[in-house]
Amino acid sequence: MKYLKKINILLKKELKDSFLSPLIYILTGLFCLMIGWLFFNYLLQAKTLTTATMTQAVITPIFGNINFIFVFLCPLLTMRAFAEEKKQSTLDLLLRSELTEFQIIFAKFISNFVLVLFMISFTLIFPIILALSGYSDWGVVGSSYAGVLLSIMAYIAVGLFCSSLTDNQIVASLLTFCLLLGSMLMVISVNATDNYLLALLIQYLTVPFHYEGFVKGLVRSYSLVYFVSYLLFFFILTHKSLQSRKW
Amino acid sequence: MNKTSDLAVDIRNLSKTYPGRIALNNVTFSVRKGSVHGFLGPNGAGKSTTLKIISGLIPQSSGDYTVSGKVGFLPEHPPLYPNMTVKDYLKFVLDIYAPDKNAISNVLEVMNKTGLSTVSERLIGNLSKGYQQRVGIAQALVHSPEIIILDEPTVGLDPVAMADIRELIKKLKKDHTIIFSTHQLHDVELLCSDITLINHGDIVVSGPLEQILESLKTKLALSAKVEHFSEEERVKLVKKFNLESAESQFDHEKKNYHLKIILKGSAQIKKEIAQYLATDGIGLLEFFEEKLDLEELFVQMIH
Repeated sequence: MKYLKKINILLKKELKDSFLSPLIYILTGLFCLMIGWLFFNYLLQAKTLTTATMTQAVITPIFGNINFIFVFLCPLLTMRAFAEEKKQSTLDLLLRSELTEFQIIFAKFISNFVLVLFMISFTLIFPIILALSGYSDWGVVGSSYAGVLLSIMAYIAVGLFCSSLTDNQIVASLLTFCLLLGSMLMVISVNATDNYLLALLIQYLTVPFHYEGFVKGLVRSYSLVYFVSYLLFFFILTHKSLQSRKW
Repeated sequence: MNKTSDLAVDIRNLSKTYPGRIALNNVTFSVRKGSVHGFLGPNGAGKSTTLKIISGLIPQSSGDYTVSGKVGFLPEHPPLYPNMTVKDYLKFVLDIYAPDKNAISNVLEVMNKTGLSTVSERLIGNLSKGYQQRVGIAQALVHSPEIIILDEPTVGLDPVAMADIRELIKKLKKDHTIIFSTHQLHDVELLCSDITLINHGDIVVSGPLEQILESLKTKLALSAKVEHFSEEERVKLVKKFNLESAESQFDHEKKNYHLKIILKGSAQIKKEIAQYLATDGIGLLEFFEEKLDLEELFVQMIH
């Protein structure tokens, strides 16, 4: 309980900072504009596609787009997490306090995830619109949201790690973007190898491979294991990076 | 010899090495409880490294130290959130440093102590540098530490803000042991009871300020004004009395020479030197003993 209470102290401060800053509202506005326009177009297209279901014509592509847009938005959300603290010399204030490195990381992670939930919450209007036209495959919608949120959690973990490496927010965001895009492009290298096992291994290591299962309504246990391991791996890297200030 | 219980900080053979560089080399000194301890040294001497180790921010490579009580630390760059109000910031710092404390009463007390009550609702980013430094000191105080470490608290401040911070430190010394590093030797003379001088990671001298200045009187400085003085006479004077140095400067306005003589040994030969300078060829006009100030101590010790 005490452990969570300490996380909550920093979390509250982080959320207050974020919601008082114009950045989150600008990013949310941009996101809503882009995703709303795409949803509208997919709906129009769905009318002409007689062979595809509403899930194939609207749900799958719209969630694919949400996922892809967050590859660009997550670096912007997470860039200030540690880079700004370093620049303001406040990271040492946190590290000397009663908070452990992991508590600091969790607080920053949760606050960024809450921001993402705030942004994503505006997309809840899409299922409502679809429901009005008789759509009822809520299992796929639910698993798609789960897939998108798990993927974004992974992006945030990468973003926090990159932000802990530098005191420059632009460098942090570029580094996060390169890492995320690079890991996505790893899928392409799967085609370059004749080794089936290697191809399978590379495929398993990429976020989109696991995300695709969720968007089809398949919640595979190994995908859950993958996302949990991915988060833990980057939390440990961030922890090491914070500890390196003491080396 | 100090009893351990009288010491707020006791540092024994502390070393810190970074790849290819020794930042601290077997540093040993202690800080008495209730004292204001000045930590002096040129840039890169190892002051901040020592203070960071004592405050628990970085580990030492070897050696040991004991700190009796909680430590409040103000680093060289005050750790401030510019978008927070002074009150919210101090409450946040108290929450993360002492989650079980009664936040509001502590925060109000510290704001009163540091003269921040009038700006409690203002954003830190909008405050003057002097006030920001006060907020930095307040964050070091808010969780009621016994020892306060201030790393160059007056750096970059205007003279008025500097005097304010000095007054604040004077106020704080009633309830806390204070260690502060500074380049302002005037601050040290005004505030400190003890000093430690560090250079290239080694302790040069450490102890009560009065005692250190007194011990330097073995290197007595004399000042004299004479009618005539030449380079040959200067060399002769140094040789005859085995002086550490003698410098002469011609005063064009008063048409006389100003001599500055530093003695190596005791003050016993002062009279002989005066007699020598009083001879007809030189013509002594004025003769007095100069008190070595901290600035000279600093320069002498560093070189």
